[in-house]
Amino acid sequence: MEPNQISRRKFITKGAVAVGGLAAMRLPALGANVFKSSKLRLGLIGTGSRGTGLAILIKDMADIELVACCDIIPEHLKTGMNYAAKGAVAYTDYRKLLEDKNIDAVIIATPLYTHYLLAVDALSAGKHIYLEKSMTFNIPQSIDLVKRVNDTKLVFQIGFQYRYYGLYKRVKEVMDQNWLGKVSHFECQYNQNSNWRKPLNDPKMEKAINWRMYREYCGGPLSELCAHQIDMVNYMLGSHPLKVTGIGGIDYWKDGRDTYDNIRTIYEYPNGVKSSVTSVLSNAYNGYNIRILGDRATVDIQRDKAFIYAESLENKRGTVDGVTGATIAAITQGKPIELKFEEPDGTNLEPTTYCLQDFFNCVVNHKKPISNVETAMETSIAIHMGNTAADTGLMQTWKPSYNS
Amino acid sequence: MKTSYQAAVLILINYLVVCINVAFAQSNFKPIYINGYTQGTTYHLTYYAKDSIVRKQEITEILNKIDSSLSVYKPYSLISKFNNPACMEVIMDEHLRKVVKKSLEIYKKSGGIFDITVYPLVRAWGFSNKEISGLPDAATIKQILPYVGSDKLLLKDNKLSKKIPGVQIDVDGIAQGYTVDVISEYFNKKKIKNYLVEVGGELRVKGKKQPENKTMQVGIEGPAKNAQDEPVIQKVVKMDNGGITTSGNYRKYFKEGDKVFSHSIDPKTGYPVQNQLIAVTVKAKDAITADGYDNVLIGMGLTNALKFLKHHTFLQAYFIYHKKNGIVTDTATAGFFKLK
Repeated sequence: MEPNQISRRKFITKGAVAVGGLAAMRLPALGANVFKSSKLRLGLIGTGSRGTGLAILIKDMADIELVACCDIIPEHLKTGMNYAAKGAVAYTDYRKLLEDKNIDAVIIATPLYTHYLLAVDALSAGKHIYLEKSMTFNIPQSIDLVKRVNDTKLVFQIGFQYRYYGLYKRVKEVMDQNWLGKVSHFECQYNQNSNWRKPLNDPKMEKAINWRMYREYCGGPLSELCAHQIDMVNYMLGSHPLKVTGIGGIDYWKDGRDTYDNIRTIYEYPNGVKSSVTSVLSNAYNGYNIRILGDRATVDIQRDKAFIYAESLENKRGTVDGVTGATIAAITQGKPIELKFEEPDGTNLEPTTYCLQDFFNCVVNHKKPISNVETAMETSIAIHMGNTAADTGLMQTWKPSYNS
Repeated sequence: MKTSYQAAVLILINYLVVCINVAFAQSNFKPIYINGYTQGTTYHLTYYAKDSIVRKQEITEILNKIDSSLSVYKPYSLISKFNNPACMEVIMDEHLRKVVKKSLEIYKKSGGIFDITVYPLVRAWGFSNKEISGLPDAATIKQILPYVGSDKLLLKDNKLSKKIPGVQIDVDGIAQGYTVDVISEYFNKKKIKNYLVEVGGELRVKGKKQPENKTMQVGIEGPAKNAQDEPVIQKVVKMDNGGITTSGNYRKYFKEGDKVFSHSIDPKTGYPVQNQLIAVTVKAKDAITADGYDNVLIGMGLTNALKFLKHHTFLQAYFIYHKKNGIVTDTATAGFFKLK
């Protein structure tokens, strides 16, 4: 064991003991002898497709050890356990997992409607939390979670992994350097040609498995797909939206679902900047895409690439007849220029890996995550505002009471 | 305060100026613009005529021919053929011959500061279209330097040859100016008397704009106060004949850490030029001369450049530079803002 790993270990110990209030009362003081490994010991609640995806990434991460999994669906639990560490414990009741003193932190990767309850219980149990996006099922839960998290010293990170992605850091850098000129519009789309339906062994499991299709479990395409793009526009503009209008429908997959199969929203940010956020489940052309429209250039962001298209600016004649200057690289010759980016470590891993690495670093160093309860609250509220706008046909405005 | 006598004289003078202008003005002339892309940048041509004399297609053909000769970005060009390690000699076409001849002339006059054999260094530093994975280290530069130096080129009649294998050339520092001259000569041949030719910020002007018969004004661009803003016009110079070009380190550069590297490479050291100059604008009889020497002056640094200009009066220059305290300022040779 390397010395710095020992110190990290001690740090986690101290952090866990330092947890205040309810958590400290419920938990016995954790002695250093409890920690036998030098890793962050993690429990995974929810081992469906997303949870399992995280488990696969964690398997390759030296600093994190998956010591427990929990799911109510036996097949899911079994799959998750395949990627867990040797000797890991399988739970079907998340409360039992939270009581497990062998666990420092939890990942919550369950359907949206359970996020709040699980997060509140995990906070009470003194666990550091990595909660999958989007954060909460409704607005009051978001506001309440901010208060609860800030009452503890626990790390609370939300799985908006694009905040950790070099691609978006590069786009933001380019925007800050004014390559795009004045940016007035974002056009976000997250389209799929899919009914989202997963096969069932037991018809009774319909809602448990296909929960994305029901409003009592989640917010549909806006919370499950476009959440990332809303979060990224918030990130790039450094602000939450001020209002939103929207229209949505169930017009294609008329299969008993009650979440939209198409929704189009327009968010307005400070200074009149508009962001259209669209999800269509019957067309996958350019599936994931954000276009940033500036008066000097456009950035076209795809899943793992971004291209810049310069506007063809007219010759700056004006009062002069010609201009001499250092050669301008003309990048509007029908060819987009790829926006190169590199992660600081030189390897371009899956963005979620950086997100998880940061979670570990935040726990060890007692830092606030980049994707934290406040940023996620803003995104979560924006999602609910968008859905409400589409549900009611009424423009929704950001209320002062939302501001934490 | 002016006396009424002075005022009357002024009015008379103004009247005469207007009369002269009207007499020479070609009132039925209008500006005709041709714009497009070439050599990785834009071009803007303006000529004054009663009606269209030159079509864009003619310009495109001229530009394509130049590309096939001088472009290091085109694998089929004559210059790419010469740069092939297996090639020791090419028969030059007119474009390559003229450009290489002028380049060698400026190489000699500048004491080797302008050097077209800098190409392997340009590539190593990532200023060509070839991407680099990291900055070259001292060993790499040392390895390249033996192949740099125009004394390793031999120009005889229509033949250009390498004295040693591995020599490669890049005429990008002068090609745009040359292209401006080629288009200008084409306009001359078409009996166009008033025009402005601009390729990638390098210009040549002849005559006056019509129908006003006014002297043409060329804006000189420089960096904006905020480095992130688009460069702005710093000065305006009137011109009625000749070339004017700018070499600047405010557009094409790259950053590593806090250090900013310019795209001008010192062929002697193998490293990017680092001095106080931000941009140099040069006026000369034609654009190729101006374009060749703007590189020389930026490579020299301000003091040496001003000394050089004292002995080379066919050049006039305007400099934007950092003072020692970091403040950006400018200066020019005595004749720079004069019409002739």
